[in-house]
Amino acid sequence: MAFTMLLITILFISVIQVAIPFLIKRTVVFGVTIPYEQASHPMLQSYKRKYAILTFLVGITVMISYILGNQSAMEETKLVLFGMISLFVVLLTSLSLYFYFHYKTMNLKKREEWFRGVKQVRVADLALRSKDEMLPSYVHLIPSLITVMLIILSAQLFDQLPNQIPTHWGPNGQPDAFTDKSWMSVISLPLILFIFQTMFFGINYYTKRSGIKLNAANVTSAKLRQLRLRKYTSWFLFITNILLTILFSFLQLNLLYENLFNDSVLMLVPFAFFAIILAGALGLAIKVGKVDSDLEGTLVMDHTKKQDSIDEDRYWKGGLIYYNPNDPSIFVEKRFGIGYTINLANPIGYLILFLPVALILLIQFTI
Amino acid sequence: MLTIDPESTVPIYLQLRNEIMEAIARGDLSTGDTLPSVRALAGDLGVNMHTVNKSYHELVSKEIIEIVPKKGAVIIVDEGVSNQRLALMSAEFRPLLAEALVRGMKEEELQRLITTIMNNIKED
Repeated sequence: MAFTMLLITILFISVIQVAIPFLIKRTVVFGVTIPYEQASHPMLQSYKRKYAILTFLVGITVMISYILGNQSAMEETKLVLFGMISLFVVLLTSLSLYFYFHYKTMNLKKREEWFRGVKQVRVADLALRSKDEMLPSYVHLIPSLITVMLIILSAQLFDQLPNQIPTHWGPNGQPDAFTDKSWMSVISLPLILFIFQTMFFGINYYTKRSGIKLNAANVTSAKLRQLRLRKYTSWFLFITNILLTILFSFLQLNLLYENLFNDSVLMLVPFAFFAIILAGALGLAIKVGKVDSDLEGTLVMDHTKKQDSIDEDRYWKGGLIYYNPNDPSIFVEKRFGIGYTINLANPIGYLILFLPVALILLIQFTI
Repeated sequence: MLTIDPESTVPIYLQLRNEIMEAIARGDLSTGDTLPSVRALAGDLGVNMHTVNKSYHELVSKEIIEIVPKKGAVIIVDEGVSNQRLALMSAEFRPLLAEALVRGMKEEELQRLITTIMNNIKED
């Protein structure tokens, strides 16, 4: 089971890495802003192809060696470690390749003086927010009702529970680590779930309030992409919230009532969770990635007057990390990948992402 | 669409004020509609919130929008110009007209210029 899940993860990550250059916005290549009319420049297209081919080769090699490792009857724990290392190899090589092509693109842009003579403006659409289909943030509070019920139920059953409480589950859904019974160890699962639910609420709330950035050279496609990104990421977040609630409720019920579920169900639930999340991420990447990217095809210039968006590269460290104190947005569209990243100049962003992690770690250490 | 040119000599808050007025003149937005919140528009444009705030205050002092608690910036302008408003506008027109006269422009030329600008605003 662990082998299959890791193999699917490696496959998934490799496929996404290969596809990313063709799914990202046309006007940001390897984290570098380029004028819209240069999007089909032969050198840029060749960089993208090289990146895709190299990550593909690395992915294939890693997967084959992992499958061979599985057949050589390796120990289960060693195989899992091998799988994790393989995953990191894929991620690290694609990151190194990203940086290599990031600098190549920057040099090309500088050498050919692309933005010379291009009028750079900022644009916004006053009516766009009325077309925004993001889910309202309060939907993330609805699953919290289940969490509250779980805590009440756990409190009522506290006296009947055994003296050992499971704290960790293996990939087959069976608990493999235990701790002494205490209030904290009995309600730690619903508590962690509640932290996640609050975090999802915060992400949705602050994404909704963040700016909708449009490209001045191709407003129509840019609008469509932004609306899709907002709509589908908010749906993805909500589905993740529901699945996580189901998974945690399931584990907590299993803790409260022994032998409530049989072994095959214990194995199936985490696997279904994992499969739906991956399928959702893939769907999101395709839905968003086919607009205003290379997949969309022909370049359509909106205006006869030559204008392009402001080059904001100086706010992006390495093309990956955003730091812009002037921008009140907390979440902005990622430059290399599908989804959002945080504006590091805004402390609320840190709070939403790091406070939950700190709290969960605290719970883990107190039980 | 609002377009802001950061290279222009016109300050951004004035450009933004003018662009919003043009959007209303075009019919993109009408009386009773709400402008995006200061934070949202500043985020969309990637400019400082103070800049957007300043533009909204300009529009408030021109009695084009009103800041309604909990609702935001609502467009309140309606047809018809009060005498007081007319006096303010004529004071702003005056130096421009003086410049046109200094350059020897005739009344018909001025009229043509106004028609061109009006069409331009409507088309954009």
